[in-house]
Amino acid sequence: MLKFESVSRIYDDGTKAIDNVSLHIKAGEFCVLLGPSGAGKSTLMNMVNAVVEPSSGNIKLGDLVLNKRNKSTIQRRIGMIHQQLHLVPRLSVLHNVLSGLLPNVGLFRSLIKSFSFQDQRRACQLLDEVGMEEKHLLRRASDLSGGQQQRVAIARAFIPNPEVVLADEPVASLDPAMSRSVLQSLKTAAQQHGATVICTLHQLDYALEFADRIIALRKGEIFFDGHPSKLDETTQNELYALTQPQPVKLEQVAA
Amino acid sequence: MNSESKHWQDWELHRTVTPKNIIIIFIVFILLSFSAHNTELDKAAIETSKAVLSIVGVGESQVLDGALRFVSKAFPLQISDRTPVNRLDKFDRNNLPLFSYIESGEEKEYDALTDTWSYETTEFLVQPVGYLKKVIIKMWETVEMGFWGTVICIIISLPLGILASQNYSPHRFVYSFARTWLSFHRSLPELIVALILVLMYGFGPIAGVLALAIHTSGVLGKFFADEIENAPPGPQLALSSTGASAFKVLRYAVFPHVYPACIAYVQYIFERNIRTATVLGIVGAGGIGMELKGRWDVFDYDHVATILLAIFLTVILLEVVSQKLRKKAL
Repeated sequence: MLKFESVSRIYDDGTKAIDNVSLHIKAGEFCVLLGPSGAGKSTLMNMVNAVVEPSSGNIKLGDLVLNKRNKSTIQRRIGMIHQQLHLVPRLSVLHNVLSGLLPNVGLFRSLIKSFSFQDQRRACQLLDEVGMEEKHLLRRASDLSGGQQQRVAIARAFIPNPEVVLADEPVASLDPAMSRSVLQSLKTAAQQHGATVICTLHQLDYALEFADRIIALRKGEIFFDGHPSKLDETTQNELYALTQPQPVKLEQVAA
Repeated sequence: MNSESKHWQDWELHRTVTPKNIIIIFIVFILLSFSAHNTELDKAAIETSKAVLSIVGVGESQVLDGALRFVSKAFPLQISDRTPVNRLDKFDRNNLPLFSYIESGEEKEYDALTDTWSYETTEFLVQPVGYLKKVIIKMWETVEMGFWGTVICIIISLPLGILASQNYSPHRFVYSFARTWLSFHRSLPELIVALILVLMYGFGPIAGVLALAIHTSGVLGKFFADEIENAPPGPQLALSSTGASAFKVLRYAVFPHVYPACIAYVQYIFERNIRTATVLGIVGAGGIGMELKGRWDVFDYDHVATILLAIFLTVILLEVVSQKLRKKAL
């Protein structure tokens, strides 16, 4: 469904962010992108969202080739969960979720914040699915805890019925228990709506627990691609070494 | 530690008092003293000390005389209205307005041909709170002028503000044009605009309302534009990456963020407009200023004092009310 055909991306300063990557992601897969900072994870995500164009090669969503011309068509079919969430702090939870539907709402209706009951019911259903309660519905997004904000962001990404949902480090700032429950919500929501999820993570443990498929990147190249169970001991250790922060040696500080 | 670098005891330290700084302060002081002389600050100091001396009984003071001339006539405040009966049309002796009565007295009349004052005994219709009523009506008109000035100001400055914000302007030229237009509006002082508008629309509040709207839309539009430019980019990116149009992003990601600051600006503009509206009448643009100017010119300082008190109370009342309203709006 989502096809990368020998895609490369070279930035203007000559850095090769993505180097000849070919992938075929099937519908409904929960893919986790792993890799150290600067491995090209974000570039890959931005290319799917048509913010960045590949320097060579094609990305196809179904039969549609992604490029700047059909950017808006593509963006309507793709949901995005950003690393810093980017909820609107002073808007209510309900309207934050509904803001995912803006491209489909008429100009005047959007101006006076009048969304149809059908849309509002759908937002409620999604919020319920990710584990939010009715009492939070009209609270401001800024009054919520980090985990709750994350759930709202998930609901916002799913409301336009996307085929693909991109999640950029969705649990970067949460504690382990909350991270698990947020990832579980994300996975359940994806299964309910039959959406493909591409999610970047730093923690291998979560990837092993939730992913249908792990794609590990190193310096713009894929060095592991497959189901978590296919991960052998050496690759797993290598991945640990790549994703965990390296302890800084004391002599380096003193020097 | 690097062997080439200086030992820490030889590092250059920070000094505040240096010959250079002393010379700069000296030059600034000389320039400021010239400027102070130009604006007669020295005279102000001398006259004020003379006034203080004359209070304790040493010498005379022009400042104190001026103040006394006003204060001695200003109190008690004039709240009643006294009109000669023969100047009233439709005067009905048997059906007087509420609380009013007829009083006989002398009227001073000036004969320009012989340059003499003559006295005539006539009857006066006295309304005990007539003047107060008139001042309150005029003051209300002034508040209304400020209100409509603010409304028109918002209507002008909202679209201009959006066009003058770098990230939502449709084109670079539109951006520069809107910015220039806003600066132009800002650079037009209300009193001068009001003078011209009085020529165009005639005496009355309309000239005042438009003058207020024109000047303050320049101020408010710039505030709006700067607020929109400084809104956090994250939520805007999140919404625009779903494919939402710029207008919708503006409505959902920018507007909720700038709303509190804009309410504060609008509140400030509203208060400022009412304060300015009180003086706009001096050039004939409606409101209480017209009454103030008329009374001042004929030395009716007791009437002037009533007007000043009304302005003072209105401004205080307004501040209290607008603070409460603002808390509700947020």
